[in-house]
Amino acid sequence: METLGVVLVIALALGFDYTNGFHDAANSIATVVSTRVLSPRWAVIWAAGFNFAAFLVFKTHVANTIAKDVVDQDILTIGVIFAGLVGAIGWNLITFYLGLPTSSSHALVGGIAGAAVSRSGTHVLVSEGLRKIGMFIVLSPLIGLALGLTITVLIQWVFHRYRRVERLNKGFRRGQLISAAAFSLGHGGNDAQKTMGVILAVLIASGHATANADVPLWVVLAAHSAIGLGTLSGGWRIVKTMGSKITRLQPVGGMAAETGAAVTLFYASSSGIPVSTTHTITGAIVGVGASRRLSAVRWGVAGRVVWAWLLTIPGAALVAAITSQIVRAFG
Amino acid sequence: MDRRAVFFFGAALACFALIPVGLEKYQHVAEIVGVVYLVYALLSFLDARSRSRSRKR
Repeated sequence: METLGVVLVIALALGFDYTNGFHDAANSIATVVSTRVLSPRWAVIWAAGFNFAAFLVFKTHVANTIAKDVVDQDILTIGVIFAGLVGAIGWNLITFYLGLPTSSSHALVGGIAGAAVSRSGTHVLVSEGLRKIGMFIVLSPLIGLALGLTITVLIQWVFHRYRRVERLNKGFRRGQLISAAAFSLGHGGNDAQKTMGVILAVLIASGHATANADVPLWVVLAAHSAIGLGTLSGGWRIVKTMGSKITRLQPVGGMAAETGAAVTLFYASSSGIPVSTTHTITGAIVGVGASRRLSAVRWGVAGRVVWAWLLTIPGAALVAAITSQIVRAFG
Repeated sequence: MDRRAVFFFGAALACFALIPVGLEKYQHVAEIVGVVYLVYALLSFLDARSRSRSRKR
């Protein structure tokens, strides 16, 4: 019976990874599509390929943070992890329906924390891990914004005397393919690892892995496959919000935004910090817009995004807490 | 007042506010990003001021 529970929760975790794919991975390709560097179909294939390839580049530090640094490992039972996942997936689906680019990562952290707290109280929260995650909830979009702005200013400074604009644009369009690939790599590296973390927690809770075990290879491959497939399914409502509603992008801006966001994600993944790819790319796009003037940024949309960010952790935690109590009642 | 300078200054304040509450290991990240935003706020302020002066001339 417990084995069936483990299989079900792992399947649900991979399902979450898939929804993360079509929800968050749209960010990888929004700027490429909005600047018409790639058609939507080729853009998703490009992004999905690099989402999958990320397992060759990054270690599993982020997975370990999710599995061991959000709540006390002793409280993580199959039921708690199940409720946490339901909270995250439920919240993702609500915001997907509303077309809001919220964070699947924070939904997951909120879901697991909410489910654990509803079972055993706030003492099960791991302060150090949550402080690290909380710090980068604020810092990741700000780093993305600063890098997006800096790269745009540098490019403008280097090329401002160059008169062959068409040739220059062609170069930036090609450059955007590389920056989109780098961003997709960073996205796969950070987001797929959150699912790996959940599966690792399930394996530890069920006794299939020891408390200090590393993530098994089959988990790594399964998580990257799921997020890649999710990306292939696309998330066009969010692509539209990210790619054109925040600020209008040219190929040079798209390249700067993706490069800034990719650098942020590479740093976060190598440091074991689960960050939101949505926050990061949104910050970078705002940075590109702010290099022209602040009125180039549509603050109404950006503000709506900020509200969705603020609501994600409590929203997912609430759904997870309710689910946790239902699971317990049937339990 | 230049709105962009105010925005960058606010971002710098947000970074510095994280230093006492964040993990010690990552405090340098908040400090560096905060300083970058302060520099951007200063540059943006000077840029706006020189533009408004040249317009008056």
